[in-house]
Amino acid sequence: MSMNFSEFIRQLGAEPLSQDPEFLRARSSSPEFHQAAEEADAFEEKLTRAMDLQLPDDIMKNILQISRHPVGSAAASTTPWWRSMALAAGILIAIVATGITWNMNRGWDSVDEYVTDHYRHDGSGLLARAGEKTTQDIQGIFASFNVEAAPELADIVSVIKYCPTPNGKGIHMVLNTRAGPVTVIYMPATEVNDRETLDFDGMQVLLVSLEKGSAAIIGTGSQGLLALYSVIQNSIIPEFSNA
Amino acid sequence: MSNESSRHARFNQLAENYGADLYRYAMWICGNDALAKDLVQETYLRAWKALDKLNDIGAAKSWLITILRREYARTFERKVPKFTDVETVVITEDSELAPDDRTEIKLLRQSIMELAPKYREPLLLQVVLGHSCQEISEQLGISKSAVMTQLFRAREQLKSRLRKDGVTGNVHELF
Repeated sequence: MSMNFSEFIRQLGAEPLSQDPEFLRARSSSPEFHQAAEEADAFEEKLTRAMDLQLPDDIMKNILQISRHPVGSAAASTTPWWRSMALAAGILIAIVATGITWNMNRGWDSVDEYVTDHYRHDGSGLLARAGEKTTQDIQGIFASFNVEAAPELADIVSVIKYCPTPNGKGIHMVLNTRAGPVTVIYMPATEVNDRETLDFDGMQVLLVSLEKGSAAIIGTGSQGLLALYSVIQNSIIPEFSNA
Repeated sequence: MSNESSRHARFNQLAENYGADLYRYAMWICGNDALAKDLVQETYLRAWKALDKLNDIGAAKSWLITILRREYARTFERKVPKFTDVETVVITEDSELAPDDRTEIKLLRQSIMELAPKYREPLLLQVVLGHSCQEISEQLGISKSAVMTQLFRAREQLKSRLRKDGVTGNVHELF
C-alpha cells in the first residue's frame, strides 16, 4: 500500500533521510510529494549547517592524552617509578614542612568561615603569582595526602603550597585556566556539601566533594567555576585506586 | 601487538571516530565550550577506564553517548546551568556564508537552543550524531513512535520560528 501525503509529511519531518523503500518511492510519486521532499531537503541542509560547529584545536589532543592515565589491569601493573619518587619526595616535603611553622586547625566553625578567612589571609598574594610556573613537585605534594593529581589538573597548576584547613593540612594552589587564574584549596580531611556555593568580598566559591576529602574552587563570577567542577572532582584521585 | 598496545589502539580509534561528534553534541546540550570539553574529556576518561567492558566495537558510539549523557545529568543534577548566549556557544567559521545566510543560520541556532530539551535532544542525536529513530529510541528509553513525534515537532517549531521572524515563508527562499 502506498504512503499517503499526511504520512509522507510526518516521515519527512521525523526522518527525512530515511532509506525506507516506500518512503523513497513516495518522494517522486507526484509533484506535490516531490515539492515537499525538496523543501524538506533544503531545510535539512540548513539545519545540518547550523548544527555544525568548528572543532577546537586542542580537543583531540586532550582526548588522546587520556590514555596516558593508569587504569586497572590494563595499565602497567607495577607502580611507575615517578610515582614512587613522588611519594618519597612528598613524604620528605611533609616532614620538612611539619618541622616549620604550621598553623593548622585554628578552630573555624564552618568551611565557609575557613575559606573566607584563609583566602583573605593570602589568597590574593598567591593569585598575584599566577603567571609563574611552579617548580614545586606537584605530584609529591599530592602524594603526601595519598592522592594524585591527574594531568588535566597538574598541567595547569601555577602556584602550589601547603596550607592549613579545618581538619589539618591541605593544599592551596592557583590554576591557570582559560578564564584566568582560579584558586583551589584541597582539604583532604574535610567534608563539604557538594556543589554548595558561597560569596565573599566579590569572590565566588564552589565546594566540591571528592573521593578523599573536598576542595573549594574560588574565583570571580565571570570565571564560570562550574566548568572546573568536574576537572577538580575527577583529577584528585586516591592514590593507587586505579592501579 | 601487546594487550596494552591493543587497548591504546582501540581507544585512539574511538577518539578519532567519535571525538568530534561528541564535542558538537556536548556543545549543543550544555551550551558552553569549556563545559563541553570537560564533558567530552570526562566521557573519554571513563571510557578509557572501562574499555575492557566494551565487547562490541559497533556499539561504541552509543556507549560513549550514554556515558556522556550520564555525566551531563550527574554534573547538573542539582544545578541547571544557564545557556550562554548562542553567539558565544557557536564558534564555527561562517565567513564563507553570504550575510543573509548568516542571519538565517544565526536565527536557526538560536531557535535550536530555545527548543525544549525533549525536542532538542533527539534532534541532536539524529542530525549531529547520525542516529536512526530506532537508535534514538534505545538511547533515550522512549518508544520509536514518541521519537518520531518529537523529531517532527522539533522541525516544525524551527520552521515556524523562521517563518515568524520573517526569514522565510518557504524554505526554497532560503537558498
